[in-house]
Amino acid sequence: MPKLAQVVFRKELRETLRDRRVILGVIVSPLLLTPCLMAALFFFAGKKTIEQQTSTLEIGLYQQASLPELAAYLEKNEGLALTDYPTREAAIEAVKTLAARAIVVVPHDAPDAFNLNASAPVEIIYSQANENSANALNRLRSILRKFNQEQTATRLATAGLEESFIRPTTITETSIADEKDVVGLVLSLFLPYIVIMGAAFGGINTAFDLCAGEKERGTLETLLVSPVSRYDIVKGKLLAIFSISLLSALCSILGLLIVLLFGGELSRELLDQELAISYANLAAAALVVVPLSLFTSAGLLLVSSFARNQKEAQAYIFPFIALMLFPAALSFVFGAESPLYVGLIPVLNIAVTMKQLLSNVFDLPFFVTALGSSFAYAMAATRLAVSLFQRETILFRS
Amino acid sequence: MIVADQLSKIFRDKKRGLVRAVDRVSFTCQPGKIFGLLGANGAGKTTSLRMLGTLLEPTRGKATVAGFDVQSQPEEVRRHIGFLSNSTALYGRLTAREMLDYFGKLNAIEPAILARRTDELIERLEIGDFQHGRCDKLSTGQKQRVSIARSIIHQPPVMIFDEPTTGLDVMTSQIIMSFIEQCRDDGLTVVFSTHIMSEVERLCDEVAIVHRGKIAAQGTVDEIKTQTNQPVLENAFLKIAHDLDANQSSAQTEN
Repeated sequence: MPKLAQVVFRKELRETLRDRRVILGVIVSPLLLTPCLMAALFFFAGKKTIEQQTSTLEIGLYQQASLPELAAYLEKNEGLALTDYPTREAAIEAVKTLAARAIVVVPHDAPDAFNLNASAPVEIIYSQANENSANALNRLRSILRKFNQEQTATRLATAGLEESFIRPTTITETSIADEKDVVGLVLSLFLPYIVIMGAAFGGINTAFDLCAGEKERGTLETLLVSPVSRYDIVKGKLLAIFSISLLSALCSILGLLIVLLFGGELSRELLDQELAISYANLAAAALVVVPLSLFTSAGLLLVSSFARNQKEAQAYIFPFIALMLFPAALSFVFGAESPLYVGLIPVLNIAVTMKQLLSNVFDLPFFVTALGSSFAYAMAATRLAVSLFQRETILFRS
Repeated sequence: MIVADQLSKIFRDKKRGLVRAVDRVSFTCQPGKIFGLLGANGAGKTTSLRMLGTLLEPTRGKATVAGFDVQSQPEEVRRHIGFLSNSTALYGRLTAREMLDYFGKLNAIEPAILARRTDELIERLEIGDFQHGRCDKLSTGQKQRVSIARSIIHQPPVMIFDEPTTGLDVMTSQIIMSFIEQCRDDGLTVVFSTHIMSEVERLCDEVAIVHRGKIAAQGTVDEIKTQTNQPVLENAFLKIAHDLDANQSSAQTEN
């Protein structure tokens, strides 16, 4: 890098790191705030799940005809508080008024079917619009499934048949993936999205401050009358934005790891096992953030160079955010084994490459295509930013 | 020395079409002299000075600053000028000393020389008490001292001042005016734009009255008063502007 561009870069970085907004958004938030919020989220989500599984449910029973086996089975379940309702209308009203979360209806033809070893119809009335009622449906499904298993076993025993009579095959599942692979797959689902957000938005404050902000405050004119060339100015500024974007993306990864590493209990609940990920894969995933950060930094510099002031830059940033969010959201849809042309789609290509690295599906042609095209897009955006800096109508717009 | 020869700048404006911001302006500024550009807002003073400072490229004409061509040698021109205007601000999150250090480095001054030069300027402009204070915490007067130091850190032979006192109080304006006089006394070539008559009368060895992008009159303050038969510079300025407008109107009517 030319010497004067280095001088510009060092000054921009020094000034940026004195900006509390940048420190808060790029370092404090992902390393402290995000882990705390995620820990709180896991804590409350876990607590709610436990409550849903263990709390006593108010369930109604409306029997058009008596099916004592089912009534007794429901009665002995300690998680259910049963109330009988005399009519269907009364039962529905009870669900509406939240007196009961759901109603088990035994139709008049159910006992006959049950006693003839046929399938007895049972209806569950609930409200899909009520979260607790929907949860009650799931609990009742589970209870009725166990009731069915018990009754099936009784019927088979009465008929002198083995359980294998209704289960022609017994399936054993054997996964050859080790723990690291499984955790890598789980991480690959959402880590690319978080990293892209970090790389795309971490440098916003810096980019706005270094171009649109400088125009607004008049410091850009001070800089432009110094001997440094506009090309060196752009390079110095771009490198500063890139450093902050990269730092932001890396802090996002680190913040997530803090949650998973230090929240042992939480990661066990979340992933059903301890976190054990290959650090080599994680380092490789961090490496592919480099071209992504360069690309997003050049894009931000472009927006900021074009804007008259920070307010205008904020207005222009919405299309940029949409352009970043769309491929980032697509990363949930595209799997690690995506066709080669995906390697040419900006942002998405990096997300898929990260997925490949985290889930051990490394594809060299895809890797080269994704990195090569990302660098090419970054260079194109940089050249565009340099050409904007040469245009008086852009620099001195009023 | 500064030589502007038929310097012109034409902008394309969406509403007004082609706008001649500066129209064939020619003047020469000598070392040890202060050359003033006097004109109303929008007359073309800032555009002229920005072309000399290589911030804008002339549409037509030529200019040399300290012997360097503004179009073909812009970086050399910038290395030989100090530029101070009401819109050249300071970096708020740098200290006064860091500000000088940064611009010294941008001018490729050797570290040892830069440190010595910074110390000299801090002492000369009485910046010492606040040299380690962030620029955004300084008073307007303190900021102006730092701006002055920034503009001369590389000891340029040419100084360009674009309405440097606009928006400043009397005390702070005095700092700038004294600095401009000091530049002349040190033998620098000084070009200075303003719309304040008293500043022109106090500072300028020669003045050009700029109106609608053209130089309408040029000479010493006394010569301009004599040309217009007006004892007060303000009246002379108004008469020149009025005459130019009248001439242009009649030319347009004839066409």
